[in-house]
Amino acid sequence: MPTVEIPKEKWNGKVREVKIGATKEEGGSRTKTITIGGEATLPFLHFENTIPHAPALAIEIKDRKPADWSPLLYEAWGDAMNDPAAWAKAAEASGADLIVLTLSVATKPDEAKATVRKVLNATGLPLAVFGPGQAEKDNELIVPVAEEAKGEKLLIGVCEDKNYRTIVAAAMANDHLVTSKTPMDVNLAKQLVILIHDMGMPLERIVMDPTTGALGYGIEYGYSVMERLRLAALQGDSMTQQPMIVTPGEEAWKAKESKVGEGVPESWGEWKKRAIYWETLTATPLIHAGADVVVLRHPESLKKVKGMINALMSKGN
Amino acid sequence: MATHSITFHPSNKKNSSTTGSLLTEAVRDAGLDLAQPCGGQGRCGRCAVIVESGNVRRRSTIRLSASDLEAGYALACQAVIEGDAAILIPEQEAVERRLVTDKTARKVEVPFAYDPIRDQTIRAFDLTLDPPTLEDSTDDISRLERALAAQGIFNLDVPLPLLRALGSKLRDAEWNVTAIIETDHWKRNTPRLIDVNPSGLKDPKGLDVYGIAIDIGTTTVSVYLVNLITGEAIDTAAEYNGQINRGEDVISRIIYANKNGGLSELGNLVRKTINDVIDRLASRNHVDRKQIYKATVSGNTTMMHLFAGLPPASIRLTPYIPIVNHPAPLLAADLDLNIHPLATVDLLPSVASYVGADITAGVLASGLSEADELTLFIDVGTNGEMVLGTKDWFVTCACSAGPAFEGAGVVCGMRATRGAIEEVWINTQTFEPTYRVIGDVKPKGICGSGLISLVAELFITGVVDKGGNFIVGAGLAPALARRVREGEHGGEYVVAWANETDMARDIVITKVDIDNLMRAKAAIYAGFTVLAQSVGVDLADVQKLLVGGSFGKYINVEKAVQIGLLPDMQWERFNFLGNTSVLGAYMALLSRDARSKIKAIAEKMTYIELSADNTFYDSFTSALFLPHTDMTKFPSVEAIWDNKEKQEVW
Repeated sequence: MPTVEIPKEKWNGKVREVKIGATKEEGGSRTKTITIGGEATLPFLHFENTIPHAPALAIEIKDRKPADWSPLLYEAWGDAMNDPAAWAKAAEASGADLIVLTLSVATKPDEAKATVRKVLNATGLPLAVFGPGQAEKDNELIVPVAEEAKGEKLLIGVCEDKNYRTIVAAAMANDHLVTSKTPMDVNLAKQLVILIHDMGMPLERIVMDPTTGALGYGIEYGYSVMERLRLAALQGDSMTQQPMIVTPGEEAWKAKESKVGEGVPESWGEWKKRAIYWETLTATPLIHAGADVVVLRHPESLKKVKGMINALMSKGN
Repeated sequence: MATHSITFHPSNKKNSSTTGSLLTEAVRDAGLDLAQPCGGQGRCGRCAVIVESGNVRRRSTIRLSASDLEAGYALACQAVIEGDAAILIPEQEAVERRLVTDKTARKVEVPFAYDPIRDQTIRAFDLTLDPPTLEDSTDDISRLERALAAQGIFNLDVPLPLLRALGSKLRDAEWNVTAIIETDHWKRNTPRLIDVNPSGLKDPKGLDVYGIAIDIGTTTVSVYLVNLITGEAIDTAAEYNGQINRGEDVISRIIYANKNGGLSELGNLVRKTINDVIDRLASRNHVDRKQIYKATVSGNTTMMHLFAGLPPASIRLTPYIPIVNHPAPLLAADLDLNIHPLATVDLLPSVASYVGADITAGVLASGLSEADELTLFIDVGTNGEMVLGTKDWFVTCACSAGPAFEGAGVVCGMRATRGAIEEVWINTQTFEPTYRVIGDVKPKGICGSGLISLVAELFITGVVDKGGNFIVGAGLAPALARRVREGEHGGEYVVAWANETDMARDIVITKVDIDNLMRAKAAIYAGFTVLAQSVGVDLADVQKLLVGGSFGKYINVEKAVQIGLLPDMQWERFNFLGNTSVLGAYMALLSRDARSKIKAIAEKMTYIELSADNTFYDSFTSALFLPHTDMTKFPSVEAIWDNKEKQEVW
């Protein structure tokens, strides 16, 4: 058989490695930690250069049972949704690599602290804790959480360009990591990393969230921004070399196609199947765009995405 | 450690200092006072002293020119004592003046050797007519024509209003008259009579012939009053365009013009602004407005349309076509200009909807059209326009920057006139500002150059982050907390307390102001970046950077680079020209040769439409940072920043 020389791109840069979670020896209480990033080539191009870590899969849980999630998600998690600790355990059992806990607007700082403590006790997985995404509330909740979980190397957020200092300061003081979230723009993503780093936060503790949209709802913008960020990183642009986290679960379950089963055309097919595919097919392109962590909501989607990742990480064996 | 004797003049105070100590410390220990507004960072140049004898080691000479060094100047805060020395501390005021000289407004000079007979289209001919008699019964007009023919003027066109008044004018002046004639203009070769005045008999100034050069900016209207006999610009004045309250940029003006009655309202507002400025110039120079026989007008295409009462709607809509790029000269009476009603009003040519006469005139005034080496001309106004090229070619583009650089749309903004803060320094340790006010009076507000230097200082001293956000909240240095507070429009920094001002209220810069300035500077930076890319030129290859604009004369290069408005290149390459649009109009007013050059420039210019270029938005967001998302483009700023990191002020 004739051999074909596959052309290889020579990159000058690579993605930074970021480790989330700390074991007992490292000053935390996690039984597992996870390292993301480190890629020296585009996703899954093993022939070209090294990809030391597979993309990680996170399950999103809420501190209070959400009122507006799809019935399919209630069906999947059942009673566990009433108790964040039980929910975290269920998520771990479903095969998640880490847990993302999002706090609600109605939550009080003391409640947030208690919830985080409960979740830490319930699972040995690394943990990310995000505020509800409103600047003042985020600061109010995340600062006590950061203090409560000092040393655990949580991934905390949400840091945005108009509101990052408080959370970054809390993360620095209590040995955590931060997400840097920007609205689908390469320059904004880079700028916020610079601002956070300017405060003295080491780059090894920053994860970028470039924001995305669901399949059919603007995913191509998110994809393109992530792809450009990754190309810039590989080309050696230091401030774009952070690993990326995205939230396809949250986005996909907002879409009508997954959220509702009634009043839609029959040709859309079986609801549950469609909904899970919607989440899966939102997550997989983003992994191909360079996502290092995808945050999902349904355990079945996680299983499917994990299958894809395992196949692609096995280097064709 | 060795000690050295330092003598200070003129006070003759002495001090002994150890090797390696700073001159500022010696000054302080000698009980003397030396201003250090930047906090001893070697940034402001206010602590310059002269080393009369002995030697000091100059750590930084960034603020000193070669001739300063030769004269023995050193910055006290950067001078390390290494031996005995005698130091002259100049009068503080003298130092101020030395720093100021390079940016004091240059008097407008006649831009070339002016010969009115060769260059000027408006001419005054002193005529002595033969009075009519029963024997010589030629009609009045032929009598005038006969006298003019003797001076080489044939085929005279006499407008009807003048014809109606001619008989009495000639008789009242007892046939000794000065005929004001437009000999030609770019579209016509035959002469036209503008007026007939009594020769010198009654009014000794009656012989003077004036013209005006006008730049209608979106935000600011500038006018030169010019003596067309000597060519001299005898006075200049400027005022905010009266249309500002109807929209801050050209697009919102066009939309307003589309509304019922909007077009005539906007036309009236700008004409009123111009007439008010002319009134002011005429009265303070004792010039009769009726002696102004020619107006040359520059401005962007939309402003020209509104001024002439032409509906600008199509400028805003694809494919962006104006009604006219190069209108034939008009009459003052038709445009309600309060000058001689039969005066010529010459509107300079535009290239396209968004590249107006301000640019074609600016290219001439800036000298770009004669440049041998690669030159970038940037006109910083409400619209940022840029032209890149040499004498052989040029490309141009335009972007909307907003009025911030002209001091409008900013809470405490004002034009660069008396009472405006034009430069600010912030002390790195105390965060206290030191500012300079135009006219050396109590401040009333901050002008464009003041805003640029203020934002640069806020950034360099770490009061705002690279995103332009005020650093607030717990852990804030107490000194900073005194100046930074939560205001009506979010965070703000107090530049001057109410009791220091002429306003009885604090002069502040707000987060919103900073955002406006950042958008303005980002638009301009992105504009010339994309322009250079479009012709495959690296910005570093630009040999000369010409900067025009209402603040152009006063702007501090270093500060403009620090905020990322101008590219980081050797300062020698920058040349600040002031308002090049009105300057070009002035040149065209004086000379038909300059006028035809502007026409040629307009015909030669290639326009690049940024809205058709998807790299613009990317360049814009990339520039929407201090100084830029890609710091490697700003090595001089990076150096200051790294240095600051090391010193870690908090």
